[in-house]
Amino acid sequence: MVGERTAPLVLSRHVLMLGVVLIVLAPVYWMLMIGLKTEAEFSQIPPTIWPQEFTLEWFEAVVGKRGFGEQIMNSIIIAAIATSIAITVGSLAAYGLSRFQLPWGLNYHILFFILTVRMFPQTVTVVPLFIFFTQVGLIDTHIGMGLVHSMLELPLAVWMMLGFFRDIPRDLEEAAMVDGDHWLGAFRKVIVPLVRPGLAATSILILIASWNEFLFALILTRTEAQTLPIAVANQITQFDILYGRMMAASAISIIPVLIFTLLVQRNLIRGLTLGGVSGA
Amino acid sequence: MLNVLRRRRGDDIQAIAKTPWWELHLKYFFIAPSLALLAVMAVFPAIMSWRMAFSRVTFKLGELEIEPIGFSNFTKAFSDNLIIGSTVRTAVWVLVVVSAEIVVGLIIAFLMSKLHSRARMVFTAALIIPLVLPPVSVGAGWLVMMDVNFGVLNYLLSLVGIEPLLWLADDRTALPSIMLIDIWQSSMFVFILMYAGILSLPQDPYEAAAIDGASPWQIFRDVTIPLLRPTFVVVLLLRTLDAARIADRMLAMTRGGPGSSTETVTLSIYKYAFIHFNFGYASALSVMFQVVLIILATFYIRRILRT
Repeated sequence: MVGERTAPLVLSRHVLMLGVVLIVLAPVYWMLMIGLKTEAEFSQIPPTIWPQEFTLEWFEAVVGKRGFGEQIMNSIIIAAIATSIAITVGSLAAYGLSRFQLPWGLNYHILFFILTVRMFPQTVTVVPLFIFFTQVGLIDTHIGMGLVHSMLELPLAVWMMLGFFRDIPRDLEEAAMVDGDHWLGAFRKVIVPLVRPGLAATSILILIASWNEFLFALILTRTEAQTLPIAVANQITQFDILYGRMMAASAISIIPVLIFTLLVQRNLIRGLTLGGVSGA
Repeated sequence: MLNVLRRRRGDDIQAIAKTPWWELHLKYFFIAPSLALLAVMAVFPAIMSWRMAFSRVTFKLGELEIEPIGFSNFTKAFSDNLIIGSTVRTAVWVLVVVSAEIVVGLIIAFLMSKLHSRARMVFTAALIIPLVLPPVSVGAGWLVMMDVNFGVLNYLLSLVGIEPLLWLADDRTALPSIMLIDIWQSSMFVFILMYAGILSLPQDPYEAAAIDGASPWQIFRDVTIPLLRPTFVVVLLLRTLDAARIADRMLAMTRGGPGSSTETVTLSIYKYAFIHFNFGYASALSVMFQVVLIILATFYIRRILRT
């Protein structure tokens, strides 16, 4: 940042970083390619960097497998339920906490409490939830799993949205209200459009977290609501492990996340840092 | 809300009279749903765990029986070699992965801050990719790369003349192998936080150091690192608590094996609860673990508040 820089030094830094990026991304590339290689090709030494002969047999085998389509649908439905609950409930709380001062320093205590929930050991909640869900019939259901994921991601939603709401000057909505709008109108016309990028980034992060979550889904689902990570894990622990199929299943779970991440990457980075740095 | 705002200024008593009661207490309605969700899905279960920890629990065909037995679940834990082993293993795991991730994340963040802005955007976008991928699918991919016979990692080792490793199949290399995967994935989280921290540093101390003729290394050691202290503590807090609770990688890749060489605290508790169906003992372990995590978190949060 300070001092004279010579061109070769600047160039070498960029080359060095390019090398770092390539090393970090190489495993992802490798995983995605295995699913496209034939068995003979991915078990050969030396390995091929680019598939000599593309095959979709693994993808066909996985997609054609009974239950796989349902598992994808389950993951999508559960992520959608979790995201809509967490983002709605979480944004309301974040808005309330950014705009009103509660008595007895409750603002601070509530935020702190929400953060502590994120640090509970998973087993402290999942064992009683297993009993509770079995008794009320929520076990192995989309709504049950969606509720669990929304609980897990609520702290993220609240803390991230709090940052976005705090960025909006209060004068803006007060001006709208003086113009004769009810608070709800002001909220809808002024606040919502301004936090839309924040809402999008937060939603995507919750969506990804729910899509990726493994431990709770393993315990609280069996067949009807089984999610994609469980399906992938089942491929791994199978007695007769089939690498091609396993990698095709993994690729199917990785690709949507890749697309989402690249679509909103700038806000995503902001969200990731907000949740962390201002989170203290 | 206009009415609420006016009330605060105390200049429109009539408006208050006309405002419905729920709008006067609007602020509580904003946070109520969040608190309700957390109460039902997290606080109530946690209280239940504390109760079960002091009980013998039987759960058959939806019938739950809880019989108080005092502290015996807790005393049992201290002579349970499996749990002692997992605790030590988890502690080693946390120490190794968190320190490695901080070093890797900090180096990448520092290098990144020295690049042109266009390059920064592209490289940062690329580096967050591992972070968002499903840990289980990523684990499956590494499993193939760590294959003993035709895995690419053993091939790369053979290029530099190193004997092939057994990776996950050997109880000495299994845990380090999973550590490698965790470091690969979670260093990027540390990088993002450190990078944001570096970008928000004040410029004055750097100008002062430049005038004093400090070397780049001196600037890094005596200016950047101390200024980054608050970021360090936040990273430590978030990463320590997440690393301590690790189970999904092991559960998907090795089920704790070979032997118990990759079994962590959370994984052991999971096994006691859902393989042996000993909910009482599992709950006792869970609440003890919770106490440890709370102590750790308080220790870090105190430091955050101090800086």
